[in-house]
Amino acid sequence: MAVDMRLPTVKSPPVSVLDRKDLVVPGDVITSDTGFMRGHGTYVDEDKLTASVAGKVQRVDKLICVRPLKTRFNGEVGDVVVGRITEVQQKRWKVETNSRLDSVLLLSSVNLPGGELRRRSAEDELTMREYLHEGDLISAEVQSVFSDGALSLHTRSLKYGKLGQGVLVQLSPSLIKRQKTHFHNLPCGASIILGNNGFVWLYPTPGQQEEEAGGFYTSLEPVSLSDREVISRLRNCLLALAAHKMLLYDTSVLYCYESSLQHQVKDVLKPEVMEEIVMLTQQKLLEQES
Amino acid sequence: MAGLELLSDQGYRLDGRKAAELRKVQARMGVFAQADGSAYLEQGNTKALAVVYGPHEMRGSRSRALHDRAVINCQYSMATFSTAERKRRPHGDRKSTEMSLHLKQTFEAAVMTQLFPRSQIDIYVKILQSDGGNYSVCVNAATLAVINAGIPMRDYVCACTVGFVDETPLADLCYAEESGGVSSLALALLPRGGQIALLQMDARLHQDHLESLIEAAMTACKGVSKVLDEVVRQHLQEASVLTRE
Amino acid sequence: MKDTPLSNCERDFLIKAIEEKKRLDGRQTYDYRKIKITFGTDYGCCFVDLGQTRVVAQVSCELVAPKESRPSEGIMFFNIELSPMASPAFEQGRQSELSVKLNRQLERCLRNSKCIDTESLCVVSGEKVWQVRVDVHTLNNDGNLMDAASIAAIAALSHFRRPDVGIQGEEVTVFSPEERDPIPLSIYHMPISISFAFFQQGTFLLVDPCEREERVMDGLLMIAMNKHREICSIQSSGGIMLLKEQVMRCSKIASVKVSEITELINKALFNDRTARKAGRKCGFAESLPQERITALKTDQSEVEMTDVSERASDIIQKAEAPPPMAASPVLPAPGVGQVGHGLQNTWGLEEDEEQEEESSGEEEEIKMEEEQREKDKTTEAVVEISDSEEEEVVILYPETTKKPKNAGSSSDQKGAAASKKRQKK
Repeated sequence: MAVDMRLPTVKSPPVSVLDRKDLVVPGDVITSDTGFMRGHGTYVDEDKLTASVAGKVQRVDKLICVRPLKTRFNGEVGDVVVGRITEVQQKRWKVETNSRLDSVLLLSSVNLPGGELRRRSAEDELTMREYLHEGDLISAEVQSVFSDGALSLHTRSLKYGKLGQGVLVQLSPSLIKRQKTHFHNLPCGASIILGNNGFVWLYPTPGQQEEEAGGFYTSLEPVSLSDREVISRLRNCLLALAAHKMLLYDTSVLYCYESSLQHQVKDVLKPEVMEEIVMLTQQKLLEQES
Repeated sequence: MAGLELLSDQGYRLDGRKAAELRKVQARMGVFAQADGSAYLEQGNTKALAVVYGPHEMRGSRSRALHDRAVINCQYSMATFSTAERKRRPHGDRKSTEMSLHLKQTFEAAVMTQLFPRSQIDIYVKILQSDGGNYSVCVNAATLAVINAGIPMRDYVCACTVGFVDETPLADLCYAEESGGVSSLALALLPRGGQIALLQMDARLHQDHLESLIEAAMTACKGVSKVLDEVVRQHLQEASVLTRE
Repeated sequence: MKDTPLSNCERDFLIKAIEEKKRLDGRQTYDYRKIKITFGTDYGCCFVDLGQTRVVAQVSCELVAPKESRPSEGIMFFNIELSPMASPAFEQGRQSELSVKLNRQLERCLRNSKCIDTESLCVVSGEKVWQVRVDVHTLNNDGNLMDAASIAAIAALSHFRRPDVGIQGEEVTVFSPEERDPIPLSIYHMPISISFAFFQQGTFLLVDPCEREERVMDGLLMIAMNKHREICSIQSSGGIMLLKEQVMRCSKIASVKVSEITELINKALFNDRTARKAGRKCGFAESLPQERITALKTDQSEVEMTDVSERASDIIQKAEAPPPMAASPVLPAPGVGQVGHGLQNTWGLEEDEEQEEESSGEEEEIKMEEEQREKDKTTEAVVEISDSEEEEVVILYPETTKKPKNAGSSSDQKGAAASKKRQKK
C-alpha cells in the first residue's frame, strides 16, 4: 500500500486586497447613527451599533446585520434539510440538523405509510419506532421556527422521507447556495440532495419504479459498482470544493466532477489535485457566466 | 533562585525583553475542519490549542440546561509532555479544575449567552508547551476559537500575566520569572470598555502598588488585543477572497 | 441532594432591597456579621462563628520526608471539607466546584503568601521535616464560607504548638508535650480574606454576603490582606465585569476590615493564653453559655417603640367588640366536652358524635349549601353528595339536619348534588 508523506510548506501569502471596510470583528462600531435597526450579529452599546461576530456587514435599507463566516445552521421556513433522528419521544422525533438546538419532527407532520389521511391514533404513537428510529436519515422541509430557535420539520411530500442507500457529506451551511430546488438528478448517473444545513446526500438515481408508502420504503437492492464509483467521485469532489470554500450548487458540482475525470477517484483527495480541479471548475464557471 | 536577576540594572529581563514588552504572539484560526471553531496560539514558548463546539443541544444531563441562557462548558488540560517533568495527571486534578472554572467564568462574561437558551457551548483548551502564563494564553486562544465559530461576543477577551519586581511591573511572565516567587497578577480584559472579566493575584504585594500593577496589566492586554485583531482580520480577508461569489 | 431553587419573588425582593441599600438582617453595606472565635482544649483547634456560619479548623503535624525540590523546607497542606451537615446541597464525597474553588483559594491565600516560615519546620535537611496539615470543616453554611475558613485557619495556626525536637548527632528525639513544652509555629503575618458580593452587573456591592444574598449575587471578589496592608491574594469569580476603580475601592475597604478582624483574633488568642496560664478550664464546651436553650434562638433585635401606645389604643378603639366566649366547658352529651368556639366539621363520616356537638355550638360558618340543605330536608338514608364514581356513600343520621360532608366542594358540585337529591325524591 502506498503512503503519501508531505513536509509542511510555507503558505503562499494571500492576494493582497485593499482594506475592506465591510469586514468587522467583535467590538467594532458599525455606526453611531441611531436611525438603523439592528439585525443578527450586532448589539447596541450606548447608542452605538456594534458588531458581535467577525464577518461581513450586510445592509438592507435600514437593517444592518453581520453575517459570520461560519455558523451553525439557522433555519428558515422552506429550507430543505437532511437530518438524523436522535430521539423518539412522545408524538415527535428529535432530529439533529447541525443547528443550535435539535429540530423537531412531529408525528402529525409525517405521511403515514400507505399514504392514508387520517387522524393519528394512540396506536400510531406506539408504533412510531417502526417508522423512524434512532440513527435514521431523513430529508425534510422546515415548516416553522419555534420561539427559542428550534425548527419544526415536515415530510408531507413524496420527495421527502427516510433516506436509503447512499453517502452523507457534512459541510458548513454557508457553502450551500440557495436555489429553487435542492434535489438534482445529475447526468453523471447519481442524484444529490443539497440540504441547506450543510448535509449533502448522494444516492444512486432511483429507477422508474414509483415510490410507494410515501417515503418510508427504502430499497435494499445491491447498487452496481459503476454507480458506487460515481458516488465516491462526487463525494471527493464535494470535499475538494468545500476545502477551497467554493459555493456548492448543481452546476459547480457537475463541473468539478467533469474536471476530476482524468484522475483516479482516490487521487482527488490529494491537495495538489484538489487545487487543480478547483481551478478548472472556477474557470469553467467564469466561462459559463460570460 | 538566588543570584538570578529577574530585572538587570539596565532594565533587561532574563530573556532580553524590556519590562513592558510582550513575547512574540503567533496565531492561526481554523486549524481543525470538523470543529465549529478552532485556534492555535503561541506566546513565546507557551503553545496552546483551543477548540469550540456549539452552540448545540444539551448533551448529558438535560436538567442542567438553563431556560434563558446557554451553558458554557470549559475543559482545560495540559499535555503530559508540556512541562519539564512529565505530568502524570493531565486533567482532573485541582489546578486544572480551577483553571477550567476560571475560563468558564471569563467566557460567561463575554459571550452573549442570552441568544441561545437551552443550548450548550463547549470550549476545550490544551496546553502543548508550558512556559509561563498558561491561563493568559488559554484565554487568548479560546477567544480566537470562539470568534472562528461565529458565536457572538461583546468584545475580544485578552489576558496577560504581569509580575512585580523591584518596584517595576513586568509584563507577560515566563516560567522562570513566575516560579521565582514574584507576585503575579493574571488579568482578563475586554479592551474596548476596559472591563475586567477575571482578576487573580498570588503572593504578597503592598496595597499601594496594586494600582500601577493593574494599569500595567491593562496596557499589556490592550497590546495583545491588537495582535489578535490583526490575526482575525487577516483570516477574514483570506476567507472572503475564497468565497467571492 | 439538589439545592432547592430560589423563588422568583424572593429574588426580586432581595434585589430591590439591595438597590435601596437595605440588607435582610439590617446590616450596613460594609458591615460584617458578629464574629466569635473560640479555641478547643487541644492546641490548634479553633471554632469560628460568622453570624450563623460555623466552621472548625484543626491543625496537626507529623514528620515526613521533604519534597525533592525543596529539601530544607517543611510542607503545608490545606483541606476544606464541605460536609452535608453544613447544607443539604453539599454531597458527601463528591468534589463539587465550590469545594475546588474554596480549597484553591485557601491554598493561595495561605501558602503562596508565605505566612508561615517553612524553613523553621525542617528537622533534618533532606530527610525529616514537619508536615503541617490544616483541616477546615464546615458545620453550618449561612454564606461566606471563605472568610470564615480563612479566619479559622489562621487562628488555628497561630494557636497551634508543635512538639519539640532534640537532635543529638544522628539521633532525633521528639519530645511529648509532658516532657517539654511544645513550640508555636513562627508566623510572619496573618492573611485574612474579605469577600465582596456584586449585584446588578457591578452597580451594587456588599461585604460579607449571607446565604440568601449569595444566591442572587452576580459575582464575588475575594481579597486577602494582612494588617500591614499587603495584599496576599485577589480572586474574582462569577461572570461579572469589574472596573479598575471598583477593585481599588474594595481593596481600601478590605484593609480597614482586616485590621479589625486581626485585632479580634489577637484578642481571642490572648484570652485563651491567659485562661490556660491561670489553669482555668478552656475549650469548646466551656465556650457555650450554660443553662440557655441553644436551639432556635435568635439574636435580640431592636424594635421601634416610640409611638406604640398611641397606635395600640387607636387599633383597639376601631376594632369590633370581640364575640362572647363561653367561660367553662359545655357538655353537649355524656362523655363529650367542648371548650371555645366550635368550627364546622369538615372531616367525614366517622365523627358522628361531633354532629351533636356542632348542632349546639354552630356559629360562624354561613355557607350557601347549608341553607340549601335546610331547605330540602329528607328522611332518605342514602344521599349522593358528589359526582365521584366511587361507591355510594351510606350515611346514618340521627333525626336532625343534614351536615355537609364535603364543605370544600365547588358550587357546581353542590348544585349537582342538590339537584340529584331532588331527583331522588
